[in-house]
Amino acid sequence: MSNALLEVSHATKVFSRGGLLSSRRIVAVNDVSFRIEAARPEIFTIIGESGSGKTTLSRMILNIEQPSAGSLVLDGTDLSTVRSNRDRLAFMHKVQPIFQNPFEAFNPLKQLDRYLFMTRQRFSAAVGQAALEAAVDEALRKVGLSLKEVRHRYPHEMSGGQLQRVAIARALLSSPKLIVADEPVSMVDASLRMSIVNLFRALRDDLGISIIYVTHDLATAYYISDRIMIMQNGRVVESGDARTVLNAPQHPYSQQLRAAVLLPEVTGGTAPANSPST
Amino acid sequence: MLRILRDLLRYNPEFRIGIVLVGFVLILSVLASFSPYPPDQVYVVPPDVPPSPTYWFGTTSRGQDVFWQLTFAIRNTLLFGGTVALISRVLALVIGLVSGYKGGWIDRVLMSINDTFIVMPLLPILVLFYFVMRDSMSWLILALIMACLGWAYDARLIRSVAMSLKTREFTQSSVFSGMSTREILVQEHLPYVMPIVFSTTMNNMVWSIGLEVTLSVLGFTDINTPTIGGMIYWANQHTAMVAGIWWWIAFPTAIVVMTFIGLFLLAVSMNEYIDPRSRLSRMGGAS
Amino acid sequence: MTASPALPARPDAAAPILAVRDLKAHFRTNHFGVKRYVKAVDGISFDVRRGEIYGLAGESSSGKTTLIKTIAGAIKPPLEVVGGTVDFAFLPGYGGLHRAPPAEVARIRWRHLSYIMQGSMNVLNPVRRLRATFADFARSHIDASDRQFEQAVVDHLARVKLDASVLTAYPHELSGGMRQRATIALATICRPDFIIADEPTTALDVVVQKDVLGMIRGIQREIGSSVLFVTHDMGVHAHLTDRLGIMYAGRLVEEAATAEIFRRPLHPYTRHLISSLPRIGDDIQRKGLEGSPPSLADPPPGCRFHPRCPLAMAACSERVPDMVETEPDHRVACFAVNGDQAP
Repeated sequence: MSNALLEVSHATKVFSRGGLLSSRRIVAVNDVSFRIEAARPEIFTIIGESGSGKTTLSRMILNIEQPSAGSLVLDGTDLSTVRSNRDRLAFMHKVQPIFQNPFEAFNPLKQLDRYLFMTRQRFSAAVGQAALEAAVDEALRKVGLSLKEVRHRYPHEMSGGQLQRVAIARALLSSPKLIVADEPVSMVDASLRMSIVNLFRALRDDLGISIIYVTHDLATAYYISDRIMIMQNGRVVESGDARTVLNAPQHPYSQQLRAAVLLPEVTGGTAPANSPST
Repeated sequence: MLRILRDLLRYNPEFRIGIVLVGFVLILSVLASFSPYPPDQVYVVPPDVPPSPTYWFGTTSRGQDVFWQLTFAIRNTLLFGGTVALISRVLALVIGLVSGYKGGWIDRVLMSINDTFIVMPLLPILVLFYFVMRDSMSWLILALIMACLGWAYDARLIRSVAMSLKTREFTQSSVFSGMSTREILVQEHLPYVMPIVFSTTMNNMVWSIGLEVTLSVLGFTDINTPTIGGMIYWANQHTAMVAGIWWWIAFPTAIVVMTFIGLFLLAVSMNEYIDPRSRLSRMGGAS
Repeated sequence: MTASPALPARPDAAAPILAVRDLKAHFRTNHFGVKRYVKAVDGISFDVRRGEIYGLAGESSSGKTTLIKTIAGAIKPPLEVVGGTVDFAFLPGYGGLHRAPPAEVARIRWRHLSYIMQGSMNVLNPVRRLRATFADFARSHIDASDRQFEQAVVDHLARVKLDASVLTAYPHELSGGMRQRATIALATICRPDFIIADEPTTALDVVVQKDVLGMIRGIQREIGSSVLFVTHDMGVHAHLTDRLGIMYAGRLVEEAATAEIFRRPLHPYTRHLISSLPRIGDDIQRKGLEGSPPSLADPPPGCRFHPRCPLAMAACSERVPDMVETEPDHRVACFAVNGDQAP
């Protein structure tokens, strides 16, 4: 137990919808178990389509939703015991989220640096304006920005890629051990997407942060993941080493997903093959 | 603040008209401090004099100068409306934001209280209060009672906005930045509900002033404090319309209508200015 | 319907069905003295030929949404068409839907020009059964008895693999994929000459997306329409479109047959776009592009890509490169590729 960063065992989440008389039970996450080792930082990818329960699962890991059954233990702490403000701060010190829509990740009416300074102040003992600014600048430099570029800027003044970098810098400021990223690049432009994806790699390799990457995109999953877990209707249908699973999926659903990937190249070309130039 | 005022004056005709109307009414209410006659004394001037250079708005059958009486009346009426609006806005904001953000049982409890207030019939309750309290009924107590009755609709409105704000990602970012609930509500969510607060402030003032006038005209308030409704009450007591003392009723009515229109225009234009979407497009963001 | 010119009966396959010439559409806003002028579409020319699927690729703020809004005639302030023309073969002489009289526009809508949008809920009325929606849109355009019309609708639904029973359903009772297929059926029931498709599969799951794309392709082949297909997803373009135009910051930077673009991209932006896409089964390190797309309110001078371009030279920041046909059917706007055509 002690050497698991995150231990999810038999996590289940049931939502009941509807009125008093006819409530419908929806099992969003059904008996999911997995484990991330503390000693070996990795990018663990949860793949699924809409309705697969992947987002609900990530919200449970972030302790935004509580499981209906089963348990989630982070670094020795059962998430169901995290209730008081102090516990919550201690929890968020270890786990930070990255959200899907970078344009929504910060209040559009507020300046960006505010969140960065706030996060640093709340999660570290550092005092003094100079130390604070140095810490924020350092975090921004890790994501390829600097405090000078971000200070007093509003979200709309930046591109989606830059905003997602700021969001990652903010998460880094609490020095987390785990980052939960729910579709972090699906709304980032294609030309900027890979720099964000590469950044996740760097976080794992250079800072030793484990990342739970939630996505529907098999191509980026293949590109960065160590292990993947494919979900369908709340259940895990297949999991294991990313390359093994994606190169030769076993479960019919995984095979179906794999076959539906639209390759970014024109196949069955009837046009004459031009000799490559440039 | 000055820049906002300048921008609004320059680009918004509604604001210009609103500020002229409300400004006029405000100046009138300030003049109360310079009145040569105390408001509660009668027969200080000759009664029933039509508007003239000496008595601009004429005098009443009770020997009061309509102009100076009006300055007291509008001051008290505005003060009344403002107090009701202020207290009920605070109630609506706190209850709406907390209920929408917290959800769960807190939401259910607060909203069942809220709905109780929504279905309560107003006028009978106010009349009841008058009969129970009688002489101890002052305008301040009436304002408090009305504030307690006037927040429920707007709290529901604010709650619905707060609920949608709660699901936006920046709220979660704030939570994971270590912000407390109070900080999130005040710093993150409040700017989004301010347009509602502004427009409902206007509605609420119009509502409370209107109700106060109604109660006063019927005589269910402290008739010795001069208010717009009180003036109309006394005018009716003296059958002013029948007697041809039209100025006793016309001027208070005109002033109260000016107040309503002025407040309405101000609220509309301010709303446009502080609306987050308009703010964002001024800042250069996506419109 | 008076004096409506009949569709010119010229089976001139070479004549494009849509010709856009030097189109400029700008946003002009003024909020309390804060003036903004956004050149969302700034001098775009291209043709869509009969019977082809023309893809339009571009990132957010590339102006692709504004471009198709302008082509569709959905121009509302603050958007203004500042210059240029949009000529449909079935609507000659006006230079754009926004300049044609409403009666003319009503005549061609659905019959000649239809739309498939991203949110199917925008087209399908949530409180009407699909049968009523089909009747609303298409009944007036199809000359048949009610029985025949119904049969035509059922037959057509079969093309998108929908059962006749969906006609009695409300939109919310259908899954996302079924709804999108219903909108495709709706858009194609009158066999229009031209279909504008705006990210029609972006909101769908990958498995469903592939099916829906296949249906769009199949139905397009069958009825011979031309499609203007807009999406940011290069995988979709590779899978579906015949020719592809790449937009960057309000301008078209490259255009060629889709296969050609993927095989031999010429513009540095296109090249990067294609090489950055990860593929399952290969472990090449992919790189993102430095910098950010420019703000259309304040774009850089000259070629708008030059601040991020690895091949930038002096001319790039001074003059705007023209779209030059470097090879048959392959146009590109880049000094580095075409050579500086300075006088």
